[in-house]
Amino acid sequence: MLSRVVLSAAATAAPSLKNAAFLGPGVLQATRTFHTGQPHLVPVPPLPEYGGKVRYGLIPEEFFQFLYPKTGPYVLGTGLILYALSKEIYVISAETFTALSVLGVMVYGIKKYGPFVADFADKLNEQKLAQLEEAKQASIQHIQNAIDTEKSQQALVQKRHYLFDVQRNNIAMALEVTYRERLYRVYKEVKNRLDYHISVQNMMRRKEQEHMINWVEKHVVQSISTQQEKETIAKCIADLKLLAKKAQAQPVM
Amino acid sequence: MNENLFASFIAPTILGLPAAVLIILFPPLLIPTSKHLINNRLITTQQWLIKLTSKQMMTMHNTKGRTWSLMLVSLIIFIATTNLLGLLPHSFTPTTQLSMNLAMAIPLWAGAVIMGFRSKIKNALAHFLPQGTPTPLIPMLVIIETISLLIQPMALAVRLTANITAGHLLMHLIGSATLAMSTINLPSTLIIFTILILLTILEIAVALIQAYVFTLLVSLYLHDNT
Repeated sequence: MLSRVVLSAAATAAPSLKNAAFLGPGVLQATRTFHTGQPHLVPVPPLPEYGGKVRYGLIPEEFFQFLYPKTGPYVLGTGLILYALSKEIYVISAETFTALSVLGVMVYGIKKYGPFVADFADKLNEQKLAQLEEAKQASIQHIQNAIDTEKSQQALVQKRHYLFDVQRNNIAMALEVTYRERLYRVYKEVKNRLDYHISVQNMMRRKEQEHMINWVEKHVVQSISTQQEKETIAKCIADLKLLAKKAQAQPVM
Repeated sequence: MNENLFASFIAPTILGLPAAVLIILFPPLLIPTSKHLINNRLITTQQWLIKLTSKQMMTMHNTKGRTWSLMLVSLIIFIATTNLLGLLPHSFTPTTQLSMNLAMAIPLWAGAVIMGFRSKIKNALAHFLPQGTPTPLIPMLVIIETISLLIQPMALAVRLTANITAGHLLMHLIGSATLAMSTINLPSTLIIFTILILLTILEIAVALIQAYVFTLLVSLYLHDNT
């Protein structure tokens, strides 16, 4: 809170520093870890996505804007550096060249590999987000599939009566078939019995006929006496001779 | 010049109070922590690096050895950041002080060895005699192995101190050589400056490698003793 007071005081003192009001959320979030005072009951303002613009990686842009109405910042910087060098406030020593080489190597490395590292970090974050997104999508898809299955099941329930009709027809047909089958069997059995009786009757009649014929023959044969038999045979022979005389051989055409 | 050469290795004091404590406590400020899943680029890359090193280092240990993982990872991060920060001009590197390196090496080594002696005493004692030595050499070899064991913490500390100190000294010397030559002969100044740049690159590598070596050796001692 005190920082915000300071910031508002500074904003009134230097109007171009009003852009520094965005420092507020940053300081607020940073001091939260120290747990001074009560926890906030309202949501704290979120951190901005990008930091403030800086020139040369060190000096914020606001500094330049602050100085421009009054004096050129580059002239100020050059003047300060030359003053320090000439008055030997900053001594050129062995350390200077070491510093030059270290800072040179650092700047070269950052310029050359900076974007690569930034892209790599962004890719890592994107991978994390993509994983979560995929989990969410998979869950949504799963639920959608369940919904579709449920809907199709409900639709099927509407058409269930077809199934029942078919089953009913099937059963009726099966009953019909069984009934007809049994009817036929009954018919066959009855016919069987009747045929039996008929064949018994036929057989009886045949047997009676044969018996009668045999009896008649037997009696006839018995009744033919010996004399009669001789006379009959002689008459037959005389008839035959007569016929033979009458029927002389005709020429065969 | 002799006094000036080693001036950067004096432990800094502010009005008699040791500022070395503040300097040692500074590197963790450069590694932010975060409760969020998606962070800014700095935290993301740092977290990725730490995950990579910890996985690489701790796979060869068993469950008991992995209880040391926090210690070893913070060790390598501390040494690496301290060494790299020491390359900045006019800065003080705590790892150039033998006292600090001894304070790091002796407890870690002693912890690993004592743990080994407490749990598996036969294995720990077996380290004193390599396999397949001819019988007449055994007494001498046991003495040699004991000495090599006892010298491990000293070697760890002195190795780190010597490497970093030597690197800083060389940079200082070649820097003063360029300074001296800049008034005499400009092209040779450029040559020497090129050497300085190459040396800087080497120093960066050495800073990282020394951290790695220190931690790797402690990890090795741990592996032997778990």
